Amino acid sequence: METILTPLLLSLRISMIATAFAFVIGMLLAWWFAFHKTRLTRLLSVLVTIPLIVPPTVLGYYLLISLGRNSFIGQWVEGLTGEPIVFTWKAAVIAAAIAALPLLIRPIQASFESISTSVLDAAKLDGAHGLQLLRYIIAPLAYKGILAGLVLGFARAMGEFGATIMVAGNIPGKTQTLSIAIYDAVQANRMMDAHLMVLALSVTTIIFLILLSKWYKS
Amino acid sequence: MINKLIGTLFILHVFILTGCTNANDEDEPLYIAAASDLYHALTEAGEEFTNETGIPLEFTFGSTGLITQQINEGAPYDLFLAAHESYIDELIEQEAILADSKHYYAIGRNVLMYEEESLLLESGQAQQYLLSDEVGTIAIANPEHAPYGKAAKETLESWGIWEQIEEKLVYAENIRQAYQYVESGNADVGMVALALVSDTDYEYQLVDEAAHEPIIQALGIPAVSSKEEESKQFIEYLTGKRGQEILVKYGFDLP
Repeated sequence: METILTPLLLSLRISMIATAFAFVIGMLLAWWFAFHKTRLTRLLSVLVTIPLIVPPTVLGYYLLISLGRNSFIGQWVEGLTGEPIVFTWKAAVIAAAIAALPLLIRPIQASFESISTSVLDAAKLDGAHGLQLLRYIIAPLAYKGILAGLVLGFARAMGEFGATIMVAGNIPGKTQTLSIAIYDAVQANRMMDAHLMVLALSVTTIIFLILLSKWYKS
Repeated sequence: MINKLIGTLFILHVFILTGCTNANDEDEPLYIAAASDLYHALTEAGEEFTNETGIPLEFTFGSTGLITQQINEGAPYDLFLAAHESYIDELIEQEAILADSKHYYAIGRNVLMYEEESLLLESGQAQQYLLSDEVGTIAIANPEHAPYGKAAKETLESWGIWEQIEEKLVYAENIRQAYQYVESGNADVGMVALALVSDTDYEYQLVDEAAHEPIIQALGIPAVSSKEEESKQFIEYLTGKRGQEILVKYGFDLP
């Protein structure tokens, strides 16, 4: 049980935090892409899908190089906190957030784009500012897209493997997420463990997503 | 709706904060990165070492090449057991491993692993068998970054059949995965580490060690480790009488 619970809790923590980061960034970007159509934002909105295209291990390798101890960012953070980012659970969060972002942004952006601009313009005429627009018009109209983005993003973060194993490694108790623990069990021919972990991963993720949907719809 | 979003973010914030509390260093285990061929031997040796010394160990098994890359980027391992000494030398050159910590601990052997019941290959028959139509796929570890894969490639080249069978080859990410390909019935034959076939139902036979460069395995202590003393204790155990006995039991030769 311990062998499953530790990686499961780690996976949940990493995925939740990664989804939260990706959500904040994704909402801002989706807003920008949907309501400020220029050549630049059109290009960027395509570029955001790159993490979906690049193989995860390659993505992980680039992350390892750009966050590693010989990199500018890596050295800066190490100077700040006294420990490197790579091979910690924080690196796993970054990997999962980047992997989840494209899946999260798409539905949110699409639902923003489906809101008719005349409604927004009317609200603006009546003196609503950005936050009020979001709260009273955009959020209620776009909530299905937002929910879909959250569901897809979280599921992708829970299943993330390739980039994580490169940039966070496979350290039991520290960075070994459930997806990596499954890979490890299969290689060691511990198939019973692997099946149980797959079950735990699927059931937990599905329960979590059902709760999320229920909570948003209530 | 917006309140819920803020609520979600708040809950996550609590998660982040609770995640930042670090365990103190006292009860931290020794983190050991090791080549995949050591999986069975180290699992047993590690248990015995922990029982004797009370020092808990955590193992990460992977391809020697990948772990080398990660240690170069500062992966926080206290000890690295490579499947070939060249990787330790490379890391010493990069100053990622302490120069005086290099020790030889074992010499690895490759075997041919196959399903054919009662098929005992005489010397020289192995080549014929691999070339025959009975064998559709042959699993080896990736020669680029796994020492056992490199040795397998050298063997097939010295037998003079590399070109003919190249299209039958399947590269695994590491030697444990190559074993898995055969064990799961997806590859007909594998050239894998002798140390991994201890509990298989498959047939296997030793590959002549003259057919490839010897797989001389070495270990070293990464410069980032703060547990040099404990690491040295484990090195002493593994290169001592008892540790070497266990390695021999799993099919390693001694350096």
